[in-house]
Amino acid sequence: MFITQLLDVVTTAGVLYIVALGLLIVYGVLKIINLAHGAFLAMGAYAGVITTRAGWNPWTALLLAFVIGILVAAVVEWRVLSSLYARPLDTILATWGLNIIVVQAITLYFGREIHFAASAIERAVDVGGVTYSAYRLVLLLVAVVLGVAVWLVLQRTQIGTVARAVIMNEELAQSLGINTRLVRFVTFGLGAGLAALSGALLTPLISVHPYLGVPWLINAFMLVLVAGMSLVNLAAAALVLGGAQVVVSSYGNPVLGSLTIVILAVIILRFRTIPI
Amino acid sequence: MRQMWAGRARSVVAVLVVLGVAMLPGGAVQSQEKKAIVITIPVGLSGVNSVVAPAVVQSAELAAEEINAKGGVLGRKIQVIPLDDESGPAGAVKAFNTAIRQHKTDAIITMETSAARNAGAPIADKSNTLFIYTSFYEGKACGKNLYINAWVPEQVVPPLIKFMTDEKKVKKWFAVGSDYAFGRGMIESAKATIKGMGGTLVGEEYQPLQQSDWTAIISKIRAANPDGIIYSTSGGGPNIDFMKQFKAAGLKMPVGSLSIDELTAEAGGNAAEGVYYTGDYFTGLDNPENKAFLDAMKKKFGAGLKTPNSLSEPEYDGVYAYAMAVEKAGSTDTDKVAKVLPNIVFKGPRGQVQMNKQHHAPLPVYLAQVQADGKTKVLKGFGLIDPGNQCPNLK
Repeated sequence: MFITQLLDVVTTAGVLYIVALGLLIVYGVLKIINLAHGAFLAMGAYAGVITTRAGWNPWTALLLAFVIGILVAAVVEWRVLSSLYARPLDTILATWGLNIIVVQAITLYFGREIHFAASAIERAVDVGGVTYSAYRLVLLLVAVVLGVAVWLVLQRTQIGTVARAVIMNEELAQSLGINTRLVRFVTFGLGAGLAALSGALLTPLISVHPYLGVPWLINAFMLVLVAGMSLVNLAAAALVLGGAQVVVSSYGNPVLGSLTIVILAVIILRFRTIPI
Repeated sequence: MRQMWAGRARSVVAVLVVLGVAMLPGGAVQSQEKKAIVITIPVGLSGVNSVVAPAVVQSAELAAEEINAKGGVLGRKIQVIPLDDESGPAGAVKAFNTAIRQHKTDAIITMETSAARNAGAPIADKSNTLFIYTSFYEGKACGKNLYINAWVPEQVVPPLIKFMTDEKKVKKWFAVGSDYAFGRGMIESAKATIKGMGGTLVGEEYQPLQQSDWTAIISKIRAANPDGIIYSTSGGGPNIDFMKQFKAAGLKMPVGSLSIDELTAEAGGNAAEGVYYTGDYFTGLDNPENKAFLDAMKKKFGAGLKTPNSLSEPEYDGVYAYAMAVEKAGSTDTDKVAKVLPNIVFKGPRGQVQMNKQHHAPLPVYLAQVQADGKTKVLKGFGLIDPGNQCPNLK
């Protein structure tokens, strides 16, 4: 039981981390909460439906989701968001509007009913004497890989350095000749691409329907509020909040468990001394 | 030319009607006889029921077309009018009022959410309109003009539990549900049956409706190590969420579902493979009425056909039962139709259906299992199962 719970905690944290990563990157650089995050998640999940229908290998869905997410985000950033950066409140409205448009577009094309996306891994494996879902362990690994990859991009590449400069002080970066316009464009695309990728990664666990992103958006939103702009904080938040959710669901019940993330987030925000 | 004549004939009729109304009441009755019999269908064209609603409307349209092709009822055609109840009570109130006031409906025959039904039924009662409800539901909805031709838990839960107890040797049960009225109601019914059959319950867990991660419950199932699972989520996606994660966790005990349906199982691919469930209608039912029904549906709707299912097929039976009752009563008067309705036996795709038990119907119930490709295979029939005491104050 203990090993199972430990695995539940770390894999739940892994899933939350994957889902929240794209939202955090966008929030960090653009200082906006992308309320279309859930719609990008759904978009990625439907990439799985498309590759299944085409009979392709289930792993190709990840690439397709990432590309679709980036393309849609690029158009949206270029035509809509770029003119709204001076009005942060309006970007909330714009991204929520985008969320509705994407979800309705998916509904129009695929319908409201659920769809099938093939899973790459369906078996369970033996871990320390416990049978456990192999795919959840893979997701944990993916979370670590994605976390390290994003960290490397930020720390070791030109675009990452520029992005960090924008995160720290956008006006100063601009006055030094950095094209913040381009940084925003690339970041939004990358964040949305990661959101769509996480949607495709979720399909072996959940059914595919247009509204699948909604509950995930809420949890990701809470995590990002708690984590601020740090990747390490995000990992810690996923572990603490996700872990608390598992523990409360196991020893209490899942109804209480589903409230845990929100309640803990509120408490942490109330008592945290460092402003975001 | 023909049209002109038709137009002239119509105006002659109109003049006669006006004269008739002015002179003697018999004339008005005469003209009404040619008016279509209006059946309205307030159904969730938008909202949570919008996945299944189009199939319900198609069932009604086919029934009306078939009845009209044979000359209609009492020389009158049947006209079906779908209305959107928005899958909820507020929309149902609007739709029922529109049906009664604007369309002067003769009867309301529809599949709705329980909330929508509870909002609509009093309106139908108040205006003395016949209301045939064609959705399976949690049971115990009673009204003078409310008739129900689909299953209640007493009809599908005990056969499933009995099968799993007798043939799958399940003694220790784990019950899982979505945290809402229908999910909890079905599990209550299952628990009573399990107890009655000498089984024990080693766990009972409910999941919030929005939550799609079943990890904690699956770990509890593993720890409790039951012989079998009985579950009842909300319809559609949550069935597949649960089964995907259940199988991925390597759990192998037999699973009985009180919430899955053919379309969901098929959309889930191999996710629900092996799941047992009971119901009164499956497309795979092997009887001539079902074959004729499915062929006629394919012919009428072609590529636009919405696969008939356990929520949509009873609508077809409902329209037929109503038409037969009107024919027998010789009138569309609600009291007269309601008096003969319990005597009407319609042998349709499900088998023999008669709403003769406290406004509910004893129904043929079948056991089915989801196959590896997601398709449902009917394993056996249990014969007619009684709905039990749903409305003791009604006959």
